[in-house]
Amino acid sequence: MDWLSVANAAINGIVIGMLLALPALAITLVFGIARFPNAATGDYMTLGAYTTVASQAFLGGSVVTSVFGAMSVTALVSLFFYFWVFRALAERSQVARLIASIGVAFAVRSTITFFAGQDQHVVDVPLVRAWNFGGIRLLPTDLYILTTALTALVIVFCIMHLTPTGRRMRAIADNAELAAASGIRSKRVMIFLWSLTGAFCGLGGALLGIKAVVVPELGWELLMPMFAGVILGGIGSPVGAVLGIVTFSIAQEVASLFAGPPYKIVFAFVILLCVLLLRPQGMFGRPMAAR
Amino acid sequence: MTQPMNFSRRGFLVSGTALAALGAFSGSAFSQSEKVFRLGALNSITGIGGPYGPYMLEAIKIAVAEVNDAGGAAGRKFQLFAEDDQTKPEAAVLAVKKLIEINKVEAVVGIWPSSVGLATMPITNEANLITMNTCGAPEMLTENKKGLAWMFQASNAIFGSAFAEVARQRGFKRPAVMAFNNSTFVGQANHFKESWEAKGGKVSAFVIYEPNQSSYRTELSRVLATKPDVISLSAYRPDATIILKEWCQSGQDCKFIMPGWTANEDLVKALGKEATEGIISISNVAASQSPAYKRFAAAFKKVANREPDIFAAQSYDMVITLALAIEATGASADVLAINGKIPSITSGNGQAVTSFTEGRDALRNGKPVNYNGASSRLDFGKHGETVPDFGVFDIQDGNLVLKETIPGHTPA
Repeated sequence: MDWLSVANAAINGIVIGMLLALPALAITLVFGIARFPNAATGDYMTLGAYTTVASQAFLGGSVVTSVFGAMSVTALVSLFFYFWVFRALAERSQVARLIASIGVAFAVRSTITFFAGQDQHVVDVPLVRAWNFGGIRLLPTDLYILTTALTALVIVFCIMHLTPTGRRMRAIADNAELAAASGIRSKRVMIFLWSLTGAFCGLGGALLGIKAVVVPELGWELLMPMFAGVILGGIGSPVGAVLGIVTFSIAQEVASLFAGPPYKIVFAFVILLCVLLLRPQGMFGRPMAAR
Repeated sequence: MTQPMNFSRRGFLVSGTALAALGAFSGSAFSQSEKVFRLGALNSITGIGGPYGPYMLEAIKIAVAEVNDAGGAAGRKFQLFAEDDQTKPEAAVLAVKKLIEINKVEAVVGIWPSSVGLATMPITNEANLITMNTCGAPEMLTENKKGLAWMFQASNAIFGSAFAEVARQRGFKRPAVMAFNNSTFVGQANHFKESWEAKGGKVSAFVIYEPNQSSYRTELSRVLATKPDVISLSAYRPDATIILKEWCQSGQDCKFIMPGWTANEDLVKALGKEATEGIISISNVAASQSPAYKRFAAAFKKVANREPDIFAAQSYDMVITLALAIEATGASADVLAINGKIPSITSGNGQAVTSFTEGRDALRNGKPVNYNGASSRLDFGKHGETVPDFGVFDIQDGNLVLKETIPGHTPA
């Protein structure tokens, strides 16, 4: 296997991984702060993709404005479900909230298919040829996707570490009771959290829609790799979520060169398994039992 | 707080169970005073079959309405029970058991993917039910042990060989094969390879890919690295859209041979004219000139606002064929007797008919009939498979242009 194919496969893995890092970060933030795995994440992505298609079809306008539209709509829907469902269940067990989030996922997807049908849609972007650097192929579209995802991630990490809101978020993630006792109002943090995760899922979905096709199962089918990536990186760790999902995606793409495409997901899980055997808390997770 | 890993595993279990429990509930209750024929429709409404399944169900409803409005088959009206198989064999098994045990259906029509056809056939065979499907996996023929299954779509053994034949006629030298990983398309890919190599040639790459991915670039690069002049691409529309988009972006020159249910106007709509120019699309010659198709297409357009695809036409034919077989056997006949009549009302020297009422009137006058459907002439081989003629189309400037017709024949 020559190094060119490996490099191309790795590039492909990085692009997909960075794209999925947005919703993976949403999963890990919700897990860290609201303390449950949000199974609706995938369908928030689907919503983002469909909103992009719809805004292009009905409002016209450029792809960029459509993507911003998708982010806002998904953020609003995410807030809506927070106020309607997750806030009411805040004191319930994790399993109750997980099941509720599966319900939210179905509700979102069924609402979409009620209006848009089961057939596929595409985001209208012109097809452009790849740049060829001596055998290494780079797609301009992929580069835009990569830059957008990176910018979004940098912004969120700045918010997390440089602003008072970010500090409050981290405080709640660290110890909710202590944060409450120090006078941090969790409601405001929650509103910020859910708008942020919604916008991130919307952005991820819109970018995926541009790269692939928009189908009702778009996000739901990705839940498993995203959760796997989050676990690989260490649940609750934002840096871990990003690096975890990128590692997972690169492993998948490179493995398909050696093992054949049908087995690529298996290889990605083998890596997950090996990491968890050595570091049960994941790459960047803190051992929770020690607390 | 519990261990995070445990928690996630539990989460997946819970979500898996919740998914498995999900099923569409439908079925109408109407008066039981008259004798009815309980008909199950098992369609791929959601999942990868989403672009096709909902229209198949529409087509079945149109045919059921046509038969019921004409007073039923041998006086028996169809009562329809519809289920979604989610294009997944596990969900399909639950759905078909529900149709059999709770709805007590006597036939199941509209099965689309071979994975579902193969998973449900042991169950329907056990219950002695007629099933009608559009499955193309070659195994469907060998598994059809009781002769109760009827394949309205040509076997992919025939499709694969036809692809190879066309590739050879067009003078291609280095074909590569790319196929979606399911029994239908792997069958198609294998038969392409076999019949290409049988006449002394080599396939430059043979790649089976996993469905539901957001990019197939690595798989595609692997194929393109071998510099093929044509790729036999066995794919459905969503994955074909992504693959062709990525191929077009790669800038490498090569042609594609694809099944007609994927390479059609809808694909052009998704990708634009540039990326689809010159694709060779092979399908059953739609009986687009036949009166049965014209009538069905008109009714279909009223509800769906578009031309029916081949699967919709096949689904319509399933119900009409079944209705004529019931008519031919009489009101009190059992399922096995009805099944036995299917070959005789679709082939032979009987009067050629193209609608239920036409066939019914001929049968009532004691004449044998031969139903020519909206999807093909519907002549069944000895394993219950249709052997239609194939049309070879080129996509030129966004339109399908018929180039030639290859007569269908059963594989040796």
